[in-house]
Amino acid sequence: MKNILTIIFRLTVACLLAGLVMGAAFIATSKAKKHNIHVNEQKVMLSLLGFSAKNPAPDSVAMHEVYRYLVGEGEELAMGYLLPLQDGSFSFVTIDLAGGFVAQTPVTISPEKAVEEGERTQAVGAAIGAEKPLRYADQTIVVTNDGKRMAYLLPGKFPGFKTFIGAMLALDQDFSIRGLEIMEHEEDPGLGAEIDQDYFKNQFKGKPLETVKKLEVKKTPLPEEYLKGLEAGKYGLGADEVARIQEQYQDDDIYALTGATISSSAVTNGIKAMVKKFAYRVAILDRVLAEQHIATPF
Amino acid sequence: MATDKTSLQLVVNGILNENPIFRLVLSMCPAVGISTTVMNGFMLGIAVLFVQVFSSCTISLFKNVIHPRIRIPTYTLTIATWVTVIDMVLAAYLPEAYAKMGIFVKLIVAFAIITMRLEMFACKESVNASFWDGIGMGLGFMFGMMALGFVRELLGLGTVLGYDVLGFKPLLFFVLPFAGFFCVGLMMAFFNYVEIVYKRAKRA
Repeated sequence: MKNILTIIFRLTVACLLAGLVMGAAFIATSKAKKHNIHVNEQKVMLSLLGFSAKNPAPDSVAMHEVYRYLVGEGEELAMGYLLPLQDGSFSFVTIDLAGGFVAQTPVTISPEKAVEEGERTQAVGAAIGAEKPLRYADQTIVVTNDGKRMAYLLPGKFPGFKTFIGAMLALDQDFSIRGLEIMEHEEDPGLGAEIDQDYFKNQFKGKPLETVKKLEVKKTPLPEEYLKGLEAGKYGLGADEVARIQEQYQDDDIYALTGATISSSAVTNGIKAMVKKFAYRVAILDRVLAEQHIATPF
Repeated sequence: MATDKTSLQLVVNGILNENPIFRLVLSMCPAVGISTTVMNGFMLGIAVLFVQVFSSCTISLFKNVIHPRIRIPTYTLTIATWVTVIDMVLAAYLPEAYAKMGIFVKLIVAFAIITMRLEMFACKESVNASFWDGIGMGLGFMFGMMALGFVRELLGLGTVLGYDVLGFKPLLFFVLPFAGFFCVGLMMAFFNYVEIVYKRAKRA
């Protein structure tokens, strides 16, 4: 009996020690880790827009972050958008689900602090009244060039085969897909994990909104020519050739990955939902902004 | 029982006499699965080296307070802790290396070689000896993985370290997992042969 108690005691102490070490390491590294993720995100955003180290973004290109919240207005639910204004301040615009303008409240927060989710939500809550229920939904980055809209970047998450798949989607002004990058996933290596390969994710490139709205997966083999176009870097194809192939297949459905139909359709449906909802919401937001004469930098 | 070998002998022992892959035949799953290129072998080798050294030192430091009946859980706990810590530190301070190595580091928790070395060596020896033994085992594993990776990359893809040296792909078969067993077997035979020749020469 005594023996068992010693064993239990020592194993518990060992576990506690291990936990302590891991916890300390987590606390010590979490800040640098977050920073790395942020830097990586910036890099992905720029590469989706077509910029790289060799071809850096000109100074006229600017990114404006729009945060979407769900707000409880009495019994009803409404959408709230935290928007940057032209004079550098922030404003929280609430729109009801039917698309009607509800209220506009100025929010006092510095641009650096607006990036932190906790502080941002607090500032918004203080501005609209703390008693209203408030929940952060998602963010959109509006990219402008010389004050004109150039593209939208949508970070998003949708359920995959195993856990959530995190993706970053770049849309053109007319909501056709400019590029897709899979940020995080835990799909099976060799099967579902192929979603982050060029020959899958590049299939989304160039698809216009009308095609995306009814996008499905199809289980026929990928045509060889299309494969070459998707992995242009590997086969050394010229830009004209790639554009031609992309245009030829742009109205096709997504060719599913072998042995990973669920992962393929999860990504396809996730992207479809993201684009559809975004196009709908942005139209409403733009209309409200124009009606209320709210001056945003985009 | 303390070892009478010097630190250098311990390191050489890990690389040659008790090479984890060719002599101890431990951790064959990762060896066969990952050793498709020299670079992969090197990455996994580095990761194993660090985890082995840290775990060996920890266990040898605490060997007197570890209850004999919960040895294995304690070893696993130690390895898991170090793997987690190394994983977090890499992600925080070497993000570029982490992008390439991250997947290998997480695999190590289940490696037989590390547990075996803790059981066979670190729980009986001094911290100093365990440190050098860990270095030797890590280097031995790295050497084995890189040797396998070299053969498989050259014969399977026609490249070495990603550079095209042959200009064609001789046998794609060598990149596939089951070819790993052939390579391990053939290289094991080669090492045994070298040992026999060496012993004969010594006797004569």
